[in-house]
Amino acid sequence: MLRYYKRLLLLTVIALNVTFSARAELPEFHLTLNHNLFYPQRLEVPAGEKIRLIIDNQDDAPEEFDSFDLNREKVLFPGRFTVIYIGPLEPGVYHFFGEFHPNQAKGQIRAISKGHGGAD
Amino acid sequence: MTIRTMLLWSFYLITLTAFFRVEADGQVVDRVYHPYVLANEHRLEWRFMSRQTDEENYLAQRIGFGHSVNERWILELYLIGERDIEGNFGLEAYEVEARWMLTEQGRYWADWGMVFEVEKRHSKEQWEAASGLVMEKEFGRSSLTLNWFMIYEWGDALKDELESEFRLQYRYRWMPQFQPSIEFYSGEDYVGMGPAIMGLQRFDGQKQLKWELGFITELSNIGKDHTLRFALEYEF
Repeated sequence: MLRYYKRLLLLTVIALNVTFSARAELPEFHLTLNHNLFYPQRLEVPAGEKIRLIIDNQDDAPEEFDSFDLNREKVLFPGRFTVIYIGPLEPGVYHFFGEFHPNQAKGQIRAISKGHGGAD
Repeated sequence: MTIRTMLLWSFYLITLTAFFRVEADGQVVDRVYHPYVLANEHRLEWRFMSRQTDEENYLAQRIGFGHSVNERWILELYLIGERDIEGNFGLEAYEVEARWMLTEQGRYWADWGMVFEVEKRHSKEQWEAASGLVMEKEFGRSSLTLNWFMIYEWGDALKDELESEFRLQYRYRWMPQFQPSIEFYSGEDYVGMGPAIMGLQRFDGQKQLKWELGFITELSNIGKDHTLRFALEYEF
């Protein structure tokens, strides 16, 4: 059992160090929420890279960004910028919506690989 | 103090004590915690766990109410019911739990959080305090979640002791309603593994119903030792 915990300890130390190892600046992309609509409704991002998605909620009420495709769920407080870290994504289309206005506040992120025209 | 320093110290404190040998007196199979907290969330939770061995059937249920106090912390209160040695089911303990989201989801190579629990046995001066480190790593549509727990027990008729537990879940996010996984539990001379599923159904606004179902088999014992666990959470 002691050997087992030693191995576990070693693996976790490695995981912690990898977690916080030096990383490059992430590319930033912006979305705006206004009158319960996301702008732009279709956002193109590079595939295979982690990105910072910055959402400006210009409405007077909170919204909740939700995407099963992206595995993200986050409250967008009114009058604030919210940062959501996404990816690296495989090329493709990833849908998202606002939980409080799912029929209006919706859009998609299209992850595009370099050298290709677009994701279908 | 940076998040990295806090995490490293938390981890060292938790894992250093993992080298102590522990006595078996508790139930290891529970739920695998995830490191995320959602702001403005309220939740009601019901957990059910039945462990069948050659000698007995241990039954425990708990109901809880949780509330996220900000974007990083959620507090939850539980009432815990168990079947006693005479076969009667009743209230056995109370628990307060706090979960702390240490890192923003997706920001680093892996996401980290912590869990703190204090439990008191009903009508007895018996206490249990636990702290746990939680890690989750995404691999495309799969997620690997690890929990390390240190547990300290003290009080009447209890030998003061430190125990350690480790939990692992590898989950495939196939569709919201059906996400199959494999779970692994170890601690208190127990090693178990088995399949599980989790899923969720969304309703209006923040309202959603989540469920988890798992069947864990003890691996290091030739006798019968199976645990069925089930959890239902309503978030609003």
